[in-house]
Amino acid sequence: MDKKHYIIVSVTLGVIAASAAALIGLTNLITKNRIEENKKIKINNGIAEIFGKEALIQNEYSFENNEYQYVNYVYEIQKENMIGYAFKTEGSNMYGKISLIVGFDNANSFVSLSIVEDEQTYATALEDDYVAPLISGSRDLDDVSCGATFGAKLVRDMVNDAKKANEEKVWIK
Amino acid sequence: MKREKGYTKKNFLKGIIAENPLFVSILGTCPALATTKTIEAALGMGILFTIVLICSSVLVSLLRKVISEEIRTPAYIVIIATFVTIVKMFTNAFLPELFSTLGVFISLIVVNCIVLGRAEAYASKNNVFDSFIDALGMGLGYTLAILSMALFREILGTGAISFGKIFYFIPYFKLQIIPKNYALSIFQNPAGAFIVFGVILAVIAFITNRKKEYQAYLARQEKIRKAEEAKKLAAQKVAEGGNK
Repeated sequence: MDKKHYIIVSVTLGVIAASAAALIGLTNLITKNRIEENKKIKINNGIAEIFGKEALIQNEYSFENNEYQYVNYVYEIQKENMIGYAFKTEGSNMYGKISLIVGFDNANSFVSLSIVEDEQTYATALEDDYVAPLISGSRDLDDVSCGATFGAKLVRDMVNDAKKANEEKVWIK
Repeated sequence: MKREKGYTKKNFLKGIIAENPLFVSILGTCPALATTKTIEAALGMGILFTIVLICSSVLVSLLRKVISEEIRTPAYIVIIATFVTIVKMFTNAFLPELFSTLGVFISLIVVNCIVLGRAEAYASKNNVFDSFIDALGMGLGYTLAILSMALFREILGTGAISFGKIFYFIPYFKLQIIPKNYALSIFQNPAGAFIVFGVILAVIAFITNRKKEYQAYLARQEKIRKAEEAKKLAAQKVAEGGNK
């Protein structure tokens, strides 16, 4: 094959890749704000699931310095008075990404959790066999043997990370 | 090149019946088993899949003379992955419930054999219009196939059909077909998906085999009829010869 052929092949692939990047970039511009809004709605719904419909976010704090492995946001929750904290956690393993809201009351007791995003391959098994019984109180946090054990282990570690952040309360200090 | 009469119709229908990607070619089974818990999720998957298939087939067909032999596969994968990413972003933005329900299976359209298969086997060799029709037929065929699976799974697994949870712009309705106590939850699990898929494939195999047997029977009958006619003709000739 001559030099010209290699150049044509490289240019073709380059043009296809550049056009793909441009299209994805354009789509991102169109959808970015809407996706962010949806995420906020999901977080608010998650907080409402844990603390009730009247619960409001009073303050939020971002863990930007990577203090914790999974926790990236904490929200101070109030109804009439301050009622607890909700931690937004994000984690991933070989089966995909998962994001949770983990709630604690003022007495540092775990209230409940809510799934914001679940891209795990075994998402249904994880939600039905582990997360739902955990929320209803019929399953222990450390009892991870279920249809999605790796996902359950990740959820357990994320909840424990939120527990640790709740005990340390570094954002107050 | 002169086109066969009725080619477009044949090209469109082959994806729905004769070459149905799921029930005949047994391709794209992973999302078919995972996203057929409800009719709504299956419909969502089918629509997204069809959009990706049509867009990638049309673009591959448009670029078929530009993309050279040795870079075909990477080029097709980049094209397919681009459309999947775009579809994923739009779904996340405008149908967040569908995005949450289908989860990782939207991204997995990239590695769906049907999409790359149609690009490689059809779109890279045919014009844009034919590729569009082929992709539309295949997409519709796949959508109908997963919808039929979801119909059985939802009715047997929950006893009802519901709509409007994922496509929030449609008013929610639930039609209870069999009493909830008689629903078999296994059909909502992966095992149930395999059972339904297996039963549908068995029914299709039964119908196809009976059709083949019937055609063979007709062919045999025709052969016997022809042989008898030939015998009669021969006997007639012998009789005519004797008379002379």
